[in-house]
Parts: sequence; C-alpha cells; structure tokens
Amino acid sequence: MDSVFSHKIWNETELSKMVDGGIPYPMLSDQTGAIGRLYGVYDEDSGTNIRGRFLIDPDGVIQAAEILSPPVGRNPEELLRQVKAFQHNRNTGEVLPSGWMEGGRTLKPHTGLAGNVWKAWQPPKE
Amino acid sequence: MLVTKQAPAFTAKAFHQGGIKNVSLEDYRGKWVVLCFYPGDFTFV
Repeated sequence: MDSVFSHKIWNETELSKMVDGGIPYPMLSDQTGAIGRLYGVYDEDSGTNIRGRFLIDPDGVIQAAEILSPPVGRNPEELLRQVKAFQHNRNTGEVLPSGWMEGGRTLKPHTGLAGNVWKAWQPPKE
Repeated sequence: MLVTKQAPAFTAKAFHQGGIKNVSLEDYRGKWVVLCFYPGDFTFV
C-alpha cells in the first residue's frame, strides 16, 4: 500500500537490521489497492491489503494461497514446504501426503492405489 | 477462489536493490513466484 520511497526507507532503517543486506526481493507498491482487489485481499474498512500470500507456478497458475488478518505473522517454513511439494509434484507427477516434508514418502497415483493408501502410507503416530 | 486459476496480471512500481523499477507478473513466466501482501510498512509483524 505504501510508496516505493516508503519501502526504501523501511528497508534501510529497519529491515536491513533484521536481514543481512536488506530485502532481496522487489517490494511492490500497490497504493490504490488495485492489485489487492484483483487477489481478494483488499480490506475496504481499513483501506489496506491484509496478509495474503500466493504461490504461482511457472505457467502463471496459482497453486496455493494463505490469507491472514493483520495481527499474526506468517510461517516461512510452511511456505518453503509448499514450494518444494508443488515443485516435486510438477517434476515427477507424484503426490505428497499430509504433513509431507522434503525427503518424505511420496505416492504415485494409479488406479490400484484407490482404497489402498493405508498400505503405502500411514500418518505419524502421536 | 483463485487457487488453480491463472494469476491476475499486474504491473507496479517496485523498490529493488536500491533502485526503483517497474515489475510485471508476466516477467516471471517460467519461474515460481511468491506474491505477498501486507498491511503496511513499519507494521510490527
């Protein structure tokens, strides 16, 4: 929502003290909320974009989204897990069970697997 | 619901590596993109 100049000052005065070298990614300015409206994250009451996050694949298709209200920060580890999972699926066609982490069990979809997932994969026990 | 749909195209001014430039989503075709929105600079979380 802020101007690119505000982004610059924020990066210089604060963010660069938390991340070495400052934010490495482009910090876009959406001052009218036009982009936020396109993605359904613009909040008319506060006039701000709330915490929306979209994972977009190389074809420009949205594969995942997370939207939080302002008081709670995101979990970058979960974002990275999702990026790795969608990349693995795109590269191999395999599907990734609940709670999948990099290196974990994956499944190859085929007719014989229907009703037999329990033989190939079990959720972790408490 | 946007998931599984084509991401809406946009172009915006951006601060990047010390300078100001225009960024279009189209520029990133062929790459994985994470697009994040947040309420404002200098918010606490």
